[in-house]
Amino acid sequence: MKRRFTHIMAALAAAGSALAVPAMAEGPTTADIMNDANTPGDVISYGMGPWQQRFSTLDKLNSTNVSKLVPAFAASLGGEKQRGQESQPIVYDGTIYVTGSYSRVFAFDAKTGEKKWEYNARLPDGIMPCCDVVNRGAAIHGDKIIFATLDARLIALNRENGKVIWNKKIGDYQAGYSATAAPIIVKDMVITGNSGGEFGIVGAVEARNVDTGELVWHRPTIEGHMGTLNGQDNGITGKTNATWEGDLWKTGGGATWLGGTYDPGTNLVYFGTGNPAPWNSHLRPGDNLYTSSTLAIDADTGKIKWHYQTTPHDGWDFDGVNEFIPFDAKMGGKNMKLGAKADRNGFFYVLDRTNGKLMGAHKFVMQTTWADSIDLKTGRPNFTEGGRPGAPSGAEKGEVVFSSPSFLGGKNWMPMAYSQDTELFYIPSNDWGMDIWNEPIAYKKGAAYLGAGFTIKPIAEDHIGALRAMDPKTGKIVWEYKNPAPLWGGVLATRGNLVFTGTPEGYLKAFDAKTGQELWKFQTGSGVVGSPVTWEQDGEQYVAVMSGWGGAVPLWGGEVAKTFKEISQGGMLWVFKLNN
Amino acid sequence: MRPSRRAFLGGISAAAGALALPALGNAAPLARVKELGVLRVGLYQKNRPWSWEEDGQVMGIDADIARACADALGVKTDLALFPADEEVSDDLRNVVWRGGLLGFRRCDVMMHVPFDRQFAAQETEVVILAPYYRESFTAACANDAATDCEGVPTQFRGKRLAAEIDSIPDFYLVGSFGGILRPDVGHYTTGYEAVSALGEGKADIAVATRAQVESAMAGNKANGGADIVPRQGPLPAMLSPGWDIGIAVREDSRSLGFRLEDLIHGMAESGQLKDIFARHGVEWRNALALQPNT
Repeated sequence: MKRRFTHIMAALAAAGSALAVPAMAEGPTTADIMNDANTPGDVISYGMGPWQQRFSTLDKLNSTNVSKLVPAFAASLGGEKQRGQESQPIVYDGTIYVTGSYSRVFAFDAKTGEKKWEYNARLPDGIMPCCDVVNRGAAIHGDKIIFATLDARLIALNRENGKVIWNKKIGDYQAGYSATAAPIIVKDMVITGNSGGEFGIVGAVEARNVDTGELVWHRPTIEGHMGTLNGQDNGITGKTNATWEGDLWKTGGGATWLGGTYDPGTNLVYFGTGNPAPWNSHLRPGDNLYTSSTLAIDADTGKIKWHYQTTPHDGWDFDGVNEFIPFDAKMGGKNMKLGAKADRNGFFYVLDRTNGKLMGAHKFVMQTTWADSIDLKTGRPNFTEGGRPGAPSGAEKGEVVFSSPSFLGGKNWMPMAYSQDTELFYIPSNDWGMDIWNEPIAYKKGAAYLGAGFTIKPIAEDHIGALRAMDPKTGKIVWEYKNPAPLWGGVLATRGNLVFTGTPEGYLKAFDAKTGQELWKFQTGSGVVGSPVTWEQDGEQYVAVMSGWGGAVPLWGGEVAKTFKEISQGGMLWVFKLNN
Repeated sequence: MRPSRRAFLGGISAAAGALALPALGNAAPLARVKELGVLRVGLYQKNRPWSWEEDGQVMGIDADIARACADALGVKTDLALFPADEEVSDDLRNVVWRGGLLGFRRCDVMMHVPFDRQFAAQETEVVILAPYYRESFTAACANDAATDCEGVPTQFRGKRLAAEIDSIPDFYLVGSFGGILRPDVGHYTTGYEAVSALGEGKADIAVATRAQVESAMAGNKANGGADIVPRQGPLPAMLSPGWDIGIAVREDSRSLGFRLEDLIHGMAESGQLKDIFARHGVEWRNALALQPNT
């Protein structure tokens, strides 16, 4: 009897899985990924939907019961590679996929936390990445998990077993290219940016066939460079020498190191571009397009539809890579298709996402010394006189200019979230400035050089980090949470009136989305610099985040370093649910 | 000469002076190199004529000096070419005192480190010593009647100018003289390539280091390129007066550093250094710190 019962159970289980598996075995399609924001049972894109609003419609976990949130399990990334976990988990078909620092991918069982497989990219010896060894996340499509490596390759793994399906070089690491951003999936293409610290690189956005990794289109971000579509020339970017002199455009910078977002409605991908090169802005008069900008690129053709430059003629190393997040709202009595970007330069920009027209620009940090406002008519900053670091003379230490935000930005890489309920953006920001001067005693490649000296310093007594709730329509900061150490992790908002973010001090924290009241925190054992996600599984709501201090901040130091000198490194995935 | 140099070094590196050394038990790093039988040397990649790779071989003045040192110590060399980081300070961290974040193993010694009192005072994790060359910036020109290589730089307007990207020659040409030369500057990956462009008919005037100019001229001659002439006079308003080049070891490896310093300065006295430089077409110039009048 007992035996027979077992058989029946086995048969039922088999039947159940036979029914469930085929649907999942194919893996998520582009349509599924486009619909990610509406399917709370999984997380199948970076940012939880193509707009990357990082908003979940789940409300089982909410501001009234979040105090009962407890760990379900934790999983280690193991080994000696315990630093810099900036990844966002992907959750699909009972598996949590995370990328780790040092170009690794892990698959964990979403119920138990047991490791299913691990992939370690083999990195070349001579590689020295400029800004730590992080990776920000993977993309999932069909049978594949796709991620980028520190030696500038894009690798597609079989999501069931971690075996390589294809592996493509997307840049020459020996020429200084690297890759750390999460790829995005658009129309069966995988779209990536590029990154590199070394002088001489040129930013680009590229689309590849998701099944083969073959290049579909390539769009350089600096004017004068030729784009391609299906192997054919596809027009140059901008107009050669319009905003650059001489041949400086050939090595103009503008790396797209943070990846991009996509709006299915306009069929545009939005990528932010990095700062221009060389660092000394006096050597490159002009706006230096399209550096420190947001580019809207047609997803089918790779042509630039519009651009908006947040920092023309960037002389502060501000960069403009920050995510541009589409959202719909009523502005001036009209339903508008908008997008928002909290820039390194300290201003929060709202643009019409169909044409790039500036609708609003507001400070989201305590202080901006380089410009006091943005001209809404021209879309250009009103620069502050004397706010630009001087030209180096080579003779003596130049005048010290205080500049705020520091070059690490009012907001760095860490993504903000938008709640469709409160209609607020939640911005992980930092209040810090820098002293910057010309450094006559500088050397590069063993030769004399004209460098810049700088010291980053806090500008407030009680905090550097500040999570701010910004009303995009008015620019009003509705609430703020101040944190002693700089914030360096992503944000998650939910229908349960909750906002989650991590702190370098090791906490994952939950706040009331309307008031900013801190409702819950949990100590993960190392700094949290990853992006949290939430999903529903077996009728319960889960929250997951990576813990592992690292990223660019600990590489700098100065006065700021005092706020995190006691923080240990780590490498753990933490998963939480309600203690019922 | 030597005692005064040691006194200078005692001043620029952190703690122990030469006299205190034996008591500190700092013989270990030197003994370790001998025991392992290998001297691991960090060299800049793509830094011709100092160090570069060609057909799988590590070439260059710095590579040859490193090999000569290893020969004298009776050990083999492990020549590690590394990519330059943003500034030398970063290279010292990656190559000498910490190692790379991704497993680049730190070296016993790094070649081609600026020997400069103020710079050394900032770099407390390493000892910089054994100055072996005096470097400076100069110009060279295609040898044609239309180009006056001795002219004032404002006369270079309209000529095809060449410089290594993001270097002082670059800043000099692009930024000086009110920026009037800016549209004429072509950028190259290295100073050696900038000078070689003269011989290839791609440029008229190049600004680079003296070693890059001399070695590229020699290489150009060997390749049968067009004639190149060096500028004789100094470059007005040049942003650097020149600098000495030495080596760096980790702060706890003074015993090895001092031994290498003795070897390198022995090579200077014996003429071996001069020969090594000459093999690469470069005239050896003694470091300013070692010249009698300083």
